Amino acid sequence: MVVEILQSLSEMQIVGELTALSLLIGGIIMAGGVIIAKITKLLFHKYYAPSLPKDTAKNISKLIYFGILIITFLGFTSSQGIDLSGIMVAGGIFAVVIGFATQSVVSNLISGLFLIVEKPAKHGDTIELPDMGITGTLLDIGTFSSKVLRFDGTVTRIPNEKFFTSNIRSLTLSTVRRADVIVGISYESDIDNAILVMKNEILQTMPFVLQIPEPEFRTEELGDSSVNIHVFVWHPRDDWSQAQPILLTTLKRALDKSGIEIPFPQRVIWNGKD
Amino acid sequence: MKRMSDNSETIFSNYGIYDLKDDLELLLPNTSIKFHRISDNAFSYFRKNSEGKIVEKIIPVQSNDLKIELAPIRPLNHPARRTSHIFLKFDKNIHLSANSAASIFIHCPIEIGIFLIHDSIHDSLDWITCNSLNSRFGLYGSPDTGTLCKYAEVSSATDYSDSNSYFEGVMQIVLENNLSSSQSISKVVFPITDNTLYYEDSKTIIDGIKITMKKRAAVNIADVNTTSIETDWSMSPTWEDKTANTHMEMELE
Repeated sequence: MVVEILQSLSEMQIVGELTALSLLIGGIIMAGGVIIAKITKLLFHKYYAPSLPKDTAKNISKLIYFGILIITFLGFTSSQGIDLSGIMVAGGIFAVVIGFATQSVVSNLISGLFLIVEKPAKHGDTIELPDMGITGTLLDIGTFSSKVLRFDGTVTRIPNEKFFTSNIRSLTLSTVRRADVIVGISYESDIDNAILVMKNEILQTMPFVLQIPEPEFRTEELGDSSVNIHVFVWHPRDDWSQAQPILLTTLKRALDKSGIEIPFPQRVIWNGKD
Repeated sequence: MKRMSDNSETIFSNYGIYDLKDDLELLLPNTSIKFHRISDNAFSYFRKNSEGKIVEKIIPVQSNDLKIELAPIRPLNHPARRTSHIFLKFDKNIHLSANSAASIFIHCPIEIGIFLIHDSIHDSLDWITCNSLNSRFGLYGSPDTGTLCKYAEVSSATDYSDSNSYFEGVMQIVLENNLSSSQSISKVVFPITDNTLYYEDSKTIIDGIKITMKKRAAVNIADVNTTSIETDWSMSPTWEDKTANTHMEMELE
């Protein structure tokens, strides 16, 4: 019975030498290929992906999946007796046309590959792209674009070409980071005393500020109204919020407690006499 | 089973295991801890620390056999757990002659842990430091490749009985100089996760370290390893993951 059906299918010609039976075999090959690709991808995600960086795992997964699909497609075409050499020639011309039209897409794809190889930043890193004014956590380096979760909760998609050619400032590569502010004291105030007061307050009330290296104070400028002191403190990489945003408050509190004046620009206006 | 220790006119609670039946109050320098039974199967926990920060928790219990252990722990948790290393800066440099060895005791800062004990399991409930000013960070090395450490300036102790209750334990440091020149040691950096703490009443002692100064590939280094002490004092429970790195190599100045 089955043999008879197959016999009849092999005699059923569709186009040229293409029969219903060869089309059926091709369909089975394609379906088998898709199933094998999906199973391989699933096994990879289950057993190997957890031990790899997220971006690498994602890209290897895509490579495996589409690689099996391409091999399956080549198997399908050879099972149908299709000669690809003609298509290759036409495809070459077509590829040039498509290449010009989609050069930015290809550029993004290649940049994505370079980003994966070079790894200027990885998933979860806090980065700053000064050229674009973007700061946030790197969520993903994809095939064509990367995604950055900004501190306001929004996600910015950046084409890989722009990402690759940008200056990337990593805020999480080093063990510690430095915070700095400038504070002005009056010309009448003793600079050494003001520095001592500020240093004591920092060391006593800011537990995330490192004792080694010590907070650094540089008298930076004799300004119009004040002597400006640049204050630098180091803190653990992940504790920026415990240093930079509260540093100025801490310094002002210390100076206020010690009665050291923080001057502000003053202008004396003389009314001309009639 | 509540025990107390007289410390500078104020009576503070000793380290040890306390039965939690109804209400329990523990007093430590700059810190008060209160347990209060709020129902048949729940307690409330209240803690006010030296910085005025209040922590409150509800503790559901399944049996009446609940115990609390108050014990010294490694100084790694306050203000936040960021590292396994500690950077001890000696208040006075230690001078060691060429090809000689010595042994000293130092005061090492500690924190205090509060553990729930149920079914022989120690469950960390909270931790405190009685001296937050001595609970700071420091960097050993350069900002890009250095090691973030808990930092403390430490003084020498006479022996294991010279513990500064609730604030500092006593640690022995064995120094061995295998170099042909004398060395001056001002600091030591090591992962403290391998050092076990032991307590008795309000006193604490800590596993020691051995610093071996030697030459490796034309560079003078100090190899720091943990040494265990044998004592009949009670061993503090710990919960931290131990680091794979069990010793530290420092460059000599």
